[in-house]
Amino acid sequence: MEKITDRQKILIVDDSEMNRAILADMLGGEFDIIEAENGADGIAMMQKHSMDISLVLLDIVMPVMDGFGVLTEMNKYRWIEDIPVIMISAERGSSHIERAFELGITDFISRPFDALIVHRRVVNTILLYAKQKRLAAMVTEQIYEKEQRSSLMIDILSHCVEFRNGESGMHVRNVHILTETLLSALVRKTDRYHVNQTDISVISMASALHDIGKIAIPEEILNKPGKFTPEEFAIMKTHSMVGAEMLENLPSYQNESLVRFAYQICRWHHERWDGRGYPDGLKGDEIPISAQIVAMADVYDALTSERVYKPPFSHEQAVSMIVGGECGQFNPLVLECLKECEDEIREELTGNGEQRRSQREIQNVARELHKHKELNASERTLELLEHERMKYSFFASLTKEIQFEYTITPPTLVLNSWGSEKLDLPEALLDPYQSAEALAIIDSDVQARLADALHSTTPGNPVVQCDCKLNIQGEERWHRIVARASWSSEEPPRYTGCIGKAMDIHNSRLELESLERQASHDALTGLVNRAYAQKRIIERLEDRPAGRYAMAILDLDYFKSANDTYGHMFGDEVLKFLAERLRHSIRGGDIAARVGGDEFLIFLEYKDDLESAIEGIYSRVNGGVYKDFTISVSMGVASNQEAGSEYDGLFRCADQALYVVKHSGNKGRYNYYHKENAIDTATSAVSPIDAEGGEESK
Amino acid sequence: MTLKECYAALNGDYEEAMGRLRSERLVQKFVLKFLEDGSFDLLCSSMEAGDLSEAFRAAHTIKGVCANMAFSALLDSSSQLTELLRAGETGAQTQELFQRVKADYAQTAQAIQAFREEAGG
Repeated sequence: MEKITDRQKILIVDDSEMNRAILADMLGGEFDIIEAENGADGIAMMQKHSMDISLVLLDIVMPVMDGFGVLTEMNKYRWIEDIPVIMISAERGSSHIERAFELGITDFISRPFDALIVHRRVVNTILLYAKQKRLAAMVTEQIYEKEQRSSLMIDILSHCVEFRNGESGMHVRNVHILTETLLSALVRKTDRYHVNQTDISVISMASALHDIGKIAIPEEILNKPGKFTPEEFAIMKTHSMVGAEMLENLPSYQNESLVRFAYQICRWHHERWDGRGYPDGLKGDEIPISAQIVAMADVYDALTSERVYKPPFSHEQAVSMIVGGECGQFNPLVLECLKECEDEIREELTGNGEQRRSQREIQNVARELHKHKELNASERTLELLEHERMKYSFFASLTKEIQFEYTITPPTLVLNSWGSEKLDLPEALLDPYQSAEALAIIDSDVQARLADALHSTTPGNPVVQCDCKLNIQGEERWHRIVARASWSSEEPPRYTGCIGKAMDIHNSRLELESLERQASHDALTGLVNRAYAQKRIIERLEDRPAGRYAMAILDLDYFKSANDTYGHMFGDEVLKFLAERLRHSIRGGDIAARVGGDEFLIFLEYKDDLESAIEGIYSRVNGGVYKDFTISVSMGVASNQEAGSEYDGLFRCADQALYVVKHSGNKGRYNYYHKENAIDTATSAVSPIDAEGGEESK
Repeated sequence: MTLKECYAALNGDYEEAMGRLRSERLVQKFVLKFLEDGSFDLLCSSMEAGDLSEAFRAAHTIKGVCANMAFSALLDSSSQLTELLRAGETGAQTQELFQRVKADYAQTAQAIQAFREEAGG
């Protein structure tokens, strides 16, 4: 059982002092009680204490404004969504109770009441709301944490570049701060560039990536102490284009504003206002404003920081050098911003920045609020709530996930705006099971499976996960759906719907499949490897044990001399050549695998004529030359009629049959295993070590 | 006079009140507080002034308090009066019930006063 830690406030609205006193006495031990003697008074209390009230106990019949009046007001200001109301009344009429519930009360207690019941219901309601608020806060926090993490990753990445570059490690941080400061100043000055608050923070974050292209510059050039030769400078200059290309090659993130801004910054942060920069020679406002600002921040920080080859310059010196055109040519507006921001820059760079930045955020909120002069107290509360909501949906939109909420009564699907856009569905969809658009997105089997899984959860363990394909704008993509069932607090609990999200895992899923392929295939020849072939063969044998199967093991004669004479590269080519022949000599259902070295394996199913099948394969595999090397293949064959239907037995017997050929002094032919000719099991052509080495050198 | 005897004197249900409020201390506290409640005065003055809605509210409050305190006799008469006033009745029946509420209130108040004197003294 959870304990309420901080004392919560309960507002009692009742015209009888006696009634208030009874309730206050029952609850005053655990809660702070505030009282109002009529509805209007109650509303005033709510305004004064705003979100601080955890619960309202409300009477119906009161002078000035009755209980229904209070509820109507609470609905008007949408307080009813955040403050639970328990109505206490001697009114017995069901129409009263019904109306009260319609107006959003959480519970109704009839007078006369029992002290224990009042206490229990009050505590339950408060716990429930506290839990909901905590959950909402947790979600916000997680999203925020994710943001923090991506910004951390960017910082780490850019620091890697910087350390290789021999720079201070502070450069990235300073450029970030300068970019933010200069952009904010620019926005105050002009709206020409259509930059909003979100853009400022994204551009500042992207500024950290301005020099990532330098990873491609050889270290000798990057850290050369003296002046560059023209050739070296030409190489150095490629870093802007290289950085841009790196970002362009992130195909799945092209729509991210972060990547878009980072691309502009990487590519154009060495352009000049007069058109004499590189790589594209853009002029004036052809250069995106993000790149203009970062270029200025980059130069300014280089001048004012200490480097091995120079002392730090003061702000005035740096500005006069920049204005004097010693370090490039800049947009006069951006220059003005730099000059005006001296104090702010000094403060930000020397460490009081953090505090100032959060102050600035608060100022932004305050400024926004101030714009609406007509705001009174309650509307201000609403604005703050609205701000919280905006913040939540902003962070939610950054996560690029489809977030959803489904309630059973009424059957409604609510999507976050990103998800709604992605799925091309409205944000709130009534009766999704009747909507053809919604049904087209997710397979009915998957729907049923998901619904089953959710219904079978328990309040203690409500989370389910499933991977499935979603049909999004005509494309089937793998998604991972994680959903949490909602259960009512009744006994027994009732399933009321779910919340959850769907993440696109298509690319990682494909990657996994390709990794699986890599694990099951031989890298050189592209045939399946021994382990995978074994697994497949065992499956086949177990699947239809009555079938007729044969296994052939073959190897290249004189392969060692090919390696010795022409080198291993040539040896590899021969193996690929042979693998290609194998691939073309087997039928669809057969298996061809590379066992290791120059040993290969074929597994086939036959009807009655094994001889002609084997002859066909052998004649296609053996003979001819690759370049100067004669292709001679020895092969041992074992059928399950002779060797039994176990993988190990088949393999050993085919191997023995091959051994016979190899040691017969007459290679370049094939041989069947027969029970009656079986030889000592220790003799083997293949494993454990490649037997050919010794044999061929004889 | 004990609290239980006081309940008997005012035609109340002591067991029920204890069941609701769970402690003798609380029951005693609110029984004594009942005399300070202004609802009865409000009922009388608004009945005299003919203010029907105010009278309804006052009767309604008395009914609620009596229900919680299990003052059965006064609860019964004040409940009936509440319903008549809610329906807008001002006739003889209402007056008659008003008289009964007054009598029941007097009996209740008297019992409580007697209890208070003994408890206080």
